[in-house]
Amino acid sequence: MSVRIDGREFPADGSILDAVLAAGIDLPHLCKDDNLPAIGACRTCLVEADGRVVAACSAPASSVREVLTTTERVERIRRGVLELTAAMGDPRPDLPHGPCGVQARQTFAAHAGVSNGLSRRERTAVDSTNPFFSFVETACILCGRCVAACQQLQHIGAIGLAGAGLATRVTPGASITFRESICTSCGSCVAACPTSALSPKTGGAE
Amino acid sequence: MQLSPESLPRRARLLPLLHAEHGRRGWLSPESVTAIAREARIPVAEAWEAATSYRDFHFESPAGKAQVCTGLSCQLAGAATEAGEAVMGCRFRCYEAPARGHDQPFPEQFIREAGPLLAPDVTDWRGLERARSVGREAALAEIESSGLRGRGGAYFPVGRKWAGALAQNRPIALVVNAEEGEPGVFKDRALLCRRPRRVLEGIAIAAELLQPAVVAIVVNGEAEAARMSLEAALASPGLPQNVDPWVVPGGGGYILGEETTLLNALEGRKPVPRLRPPYPVESGLFGMPTVINNVETLANLSVAFRDGAAAFRSSGTVDAPGTKLFSVSGQVREPGVYELPLGIRLAEVIERAGGAVSGSVTAVLTGGPSGGFLAPSEFGVALAPGVLHPTGAMVGAGGLVVLDESSDVRAAVLAMARFNAEESCGKCTPCREGSPRMLDFLRENDAGSLEPLLEVVGAASLCGLGQMAPNPLRSALHFWPELFR
Repeated sequence: MSVRIDGREFPADGSILDAVLAAGIDLPHLCKDDNLPAIGACRTCLVEADGRVVAACSAPASSVREVLTTTERVERIRRGVLELTAAMGDPRPDLPHGPCGVQARQTFAAHAGVSNGLSRRERTAVDSTNPFFSFVETACILCGRCVAACQQLQHIGAIGLAGAGLATRVTPGASITFRESICTSCGSCVAACPTSALSPKTGGAE
Repeated sequence: MQLSPESLPRRARLLPLLHAEHGRRGWLSPESVTAIAREARIPVAEAWEAATSYRDFHFESPAGKAQVCTGLSCQLAGAATEAGEAVMGCRFRCYEAPARGHDQPFPEQFIREAGPLLAPDVTDWRGLERARSVGREAALAEIESSGLRGRGGAYFPVGRKWAGALAQNRPIALVVNAEEGEPGVFKDRALLCRRPRRVLEGIAIAAELLQPAVVAIVVNGEAEAARMSLEAALASPGLPQNVDPWVVPGGGGYILGEETTLLNALEGRKPVPRLRPPYPVESGLFGMPTVINNVETLANLSVAFRDGAAAFRSSGTVDAPGTKLFSVSGQVREPGVYELPLGIRLAEVIERAGGAVSGSVTAVLTGGPSGGFLAPSEFGVALAPGVLHPTGAMVGAGGLVVLDESSDVRAAVLAMARFNAEESCGKCTPCREGSPRMLDFLRENDAGSLEPLLEVVGAASLCGLGQMAPNPLRSALHFWPELFR
């Protein structure tokens, strides 16, 4: 079984995103963690599959025949999503070869520090109560990877995405600090964060 | 044999416990949610993220405030918030706009036109007996041949959905959706308050044919009257023995109309959509193959088995047979529930409802916040599944909100844009970040910025509700561009 990606045939293994990345194509996938099932929240891994715009992370490659990653339409819509993401605050892509990809890096860089008057975030909390990491909310894009790592990978459940709509925020416990929560400082959330909202404290415990 | 709710994983107790605590105290404190999390044996952060996602729950004491509805029909009827009144979402009593105060049983006089669904309630179980006597295979074939489609808004063929779950060869969960959270729709409340036994017969037939391990009925948490009527009917003598459902009050939110969100709610998880695949018929409630049907769909099942598939096909269209419950409200002389054949012309429904209150009808919202506004030039359209206009108007759950010469079309469009912005569950970026911005651009008459954003939210959002959020705006920009310049 194979799938045609940007004009070339590749094995249709796993999701469309798996096949696209295996083909060496750069595609942002902010909420898809290698160690976790797809979340489908960031909507940045958009491709055109058999004429429809779909999130590549959650569609099996075997369910489609032709995938195009660079049509004018899908590039335009993906750029729109990345601009909405950038306008949430100050997301900072972390690893050079991480899930942001070139397009997200460029979009975030272009929007860094630029107030476009549309950002409606009041999420400016900083939680440094944990000895090993800090949470800087302005960099958070609510992708949900930290929560999935805590709940589904580690089975701890120290954090959740409290609230709905624009009021959604990453929150330990029932509105308490990381130090007061059941967090075991395992670091999985920090490793999962694609935008440095959760980042290790340098120099070890304070 | 059906499992009792107690035999489901313990986290399924979360929503019923939250609802009960909220009912007792009027709000939820971090301490009470912490205690409930312990009872349901889930981490506090998970209980907290679920609890704070429901629209009906308060997290500070709302003591002493009267409540006023802010739904579209009440807005059209001139509802204005007075000092000291708590602003609520739609109260789903659009037939008596402007609605105030607590939930009331659906009044019989607002059943304006009755067909087989809203005929006097069933007194025997003839439909169930027929389903039993013809045998399971023949009964399933009869559902296929009746052409019955789901009435929740998507009109998926019921026979095909059921076949998908049965093909899994594993114990099935049946989830009955009475969460009804769309402004301008109140027909599930009418059915449950006034014809609960017809719904129960439909559930009994489904239980007979699907042999589910679990039957859960989710009733909108604020529809107290509907839930009490259902529970009274369940306690009445002579009920079929195969009906022992778990009745769960919901926590509110338009997003609960999305099937996988409803499943997360039942599992004690944050009410947000899941990814598909897997589809609920493959892996739904706690991994079971799950059939989710609207209460109106199940009531139709009762009708189809009482009268037979051929009789069922005698009304409606070839592709979508049967009648539909239309919830008609807004600036119309006789608001209420109208049971009419699918395929009826919009103009005829308006006429049956007595026409406009003042002057003529200027616009009709069909399909609510996911549908569109139609101008008078479109009133000849047949109300059947599929799009009614290229901008996205559709029948959906059957809500028709009528605007007349006294109505402010622009304000109504802004109300729908605001609803979609406020009801976004927040899971995916395009809908969470984009729908509030659509409202901003609309307010600012910035059509140049709005158009590309409509494309992004419509194409990139995770679930159907986000994908359809641009529809009311698209239709308004098409028919009344001058109002947004």
